[in-house]
Amino acid sequence: MSDCRCNRGMTQRNSRDRNEKCMDEFPVGMAYVPWQNWNQIYELDKALNNGTLFPELDKPFIGRRACR
Amino acid sequence: MNYSCNRMSREQLFDWINMVSFAVVETALYLDTHPCDEEAMKFYHEVLEMRKNAIMEYSNHFEPLTLDLAGGNKGKWEWVMSPWPWEGGNC
Repeated sequence: MSDCRCNRGMTQRNSRDRNEKCMDEFPVGMAYVPWQNWNQIYELDKALNNGTLFPELDKPFIGRRACR
Repeated sequence: MNYSCNRMSREQLFDWINMVSFAVVETALYLDTHPCDEEAMKFYHEVLEMRKNAIMEYSNHFEPLTLDLAGGNKGKWEWVMSPWPWEGGNC
């Protein structure tokens, strides 16, 4: 996995480790978004209907607290 | 899921073009933040190729969808002669 500027020199592999292991080193009072990785994707017809290619981003608003 | 474009009706092919175009845009947005993701890049080229073929097929069998194919292969300006995609409640 080549180094690339998308993680400021971090390879994709250790950016995932960094997220998981050292959350407690992150300063408090800040907002953090976990890094998305390329996992499963929807079939193309389902992706268009659901409005996203990525199941992990498929969060339809159903008018109340949504938990599957 | 792979459609073979040549036996599709106009609506099916039009729907397929919408699906595959959506996948191209979604993958491009992902690559914007993950430019080194090889799996995403591979998928991007896959769906891009599918989109090109589908649009070419639509242009050959029905009418041009994009301006770069508007001249058509019969040498006449098909662009304005054929129905627009939204005519007839197609989209």
